[in-house]
Amino acid sequence: MDIKAKVIDLIVEELGVEIGEVTLEASFIEDLGADSLDTVELIMKFEEEFDIDIADEDAEGLVTVGKAIEYLEKQLS
Amino acid sequence: MFPELKIGQFTARVPIIQGGMGVGISMSGLAAATANEGGIGVISSVGLGLLEKMDRKNYRKENLVCLRKEIRKAKAMSDGVIGLNVMVAVSDYDDIVKAAIEEEIDILFLGAGLPLKMPEGISLEDLESIKTKIVPIVSSARAANLIFHSWEKRFNHIPDAVVVEGPKAGGHLGFKVEQISDPQYALEKLIPEVIKVIEPFKQRYGKDIPVIAAGGIYTGEDVYKFLEMGASGVQMGTRFVATDECDADIKFKEQFVNCREEDIGIIKSPVGLPGRAIINKFLTDVTSGIKKPFSCPWKCLKTCKMKQSLYCIADALMKAKIGDLTNGFSFAGVNAYRIKQIVSVKELMDSLQNEFEEAVSKLQGRKIANVIN
Repeated sequence: MDIKAKVIDLIVEELGVEIGEVTLEASFIEDLGADSLDTVELIMKFEEEFDIDIADEDAEGLVTVGKAIEYLEKQLS
Repeated sequence: MFPELKIGQFTARVPIIQGGMGVGISMSGLAAATANEGGIGVISSVGLGLLEKMDRKNYRKENLVCLRKEIRKAKAMSDGVIGLNVMVAVSDYDDIVKAAIEEEIDILFLGAGLPLKMPEGISLEDLESIKTKIVPIVSSARAANLIFHSWEKRFNHIPDAVVVEGPKAGGHLGFKVEQISDPQYALEKLIPEVIKVIEPFKQRYGKDIPVIAAGGIYTGEDVYKFLEMGASGVQMGTRFVATDECDADIKFKEQFVNCREEDIGIIKSPVGLPGRAIINKFLTDVTSGIKKPFSCPWKCLKTCKMKQSLYCIADALMKAKIGDLTNGFSFAGVNAYRIKQIVSVKELMDSLQNEFEEAVSKLQGRKIANVIN
């Protein structure tokens, strides 16, 4: 499974942004216009899609696209 | 007659919840008085430790001691339904929730954040066996859906009711500044939306999930309007401030009697949310950049940016509670200016009941007139 591609798909779908905007450095809140509910919804989507549990402390650190991909790749390896 | 409000095994004969107001505005006195009149009385848990003369280094411990004391006091004064309001954003959230459940508080109202999980140490079995009912406070159908969804996934269990707080409420608001006056976010819009997202959960679990309307509700006619819309009850804060039993200093209450419509405004709270308050010199000072020095005994909010903040909101609210409005300010709902006098909780409840009945008979008269015509 290509985690990176799946994560980017989910972000595009959840936040309604263009795929071109979803760069590794993009911050969910600052660059992709997510509000606090969006970020929670996104984390829940990741949990469902990859069938994992993301602890609150970990979730707080997932502020950019790159950080989310890196975290999920590590959890799923 | 008012319809009853049922939350889990608890029945309030009046469908009015007195909203939790902190710091120290609704404590055991107001909560018990409301419960004795048939409504649901709610103690605000925030900053109770600040109100006692104590070693500020032990704030966290002291907070819990005071909390337990306050719950016991309220229960001793009333056999009615007593709730506790807890802000999800406070650092000792887990401890407060656990202590309140141990004290067998009837209902926990969880706001100022999304209660997506339960505190460490509370399991699904606990949730099913505890007496305490759990009610989140939300400001959108999206947030309601997110909470119910998260609970379903994690515990296979859902909250027992939900309070929907619209943009006309006092205190911290779960809206962006530009949404506050946008009709798209009006409580009248939110109630049907929340009822709709809760419906599938009600069906799946075969249990009733009362939806409670809050924010700017002032008269018995307002209560009637929201019940007609499908809400099972209302939560009101502002009107309960101007009661004899409210736990704040008389100067705090007099501000509500004396304020004008133009005195009520929106501030940016250090908590990171907008809030509605009675604008006084303290607030105009901090808005214009004047720093009000403070020492932080303990970081009480998870997200507080102490170094950037011009004042300590916990301290300012606590000062207001004790009547020092030079060094503090009070939160208030959009209709606070309509308050003309301080009454007893009984007088307040009676007048709401009368207005409610007038609204009912007015509508029935209209229905009959329609039939005749």
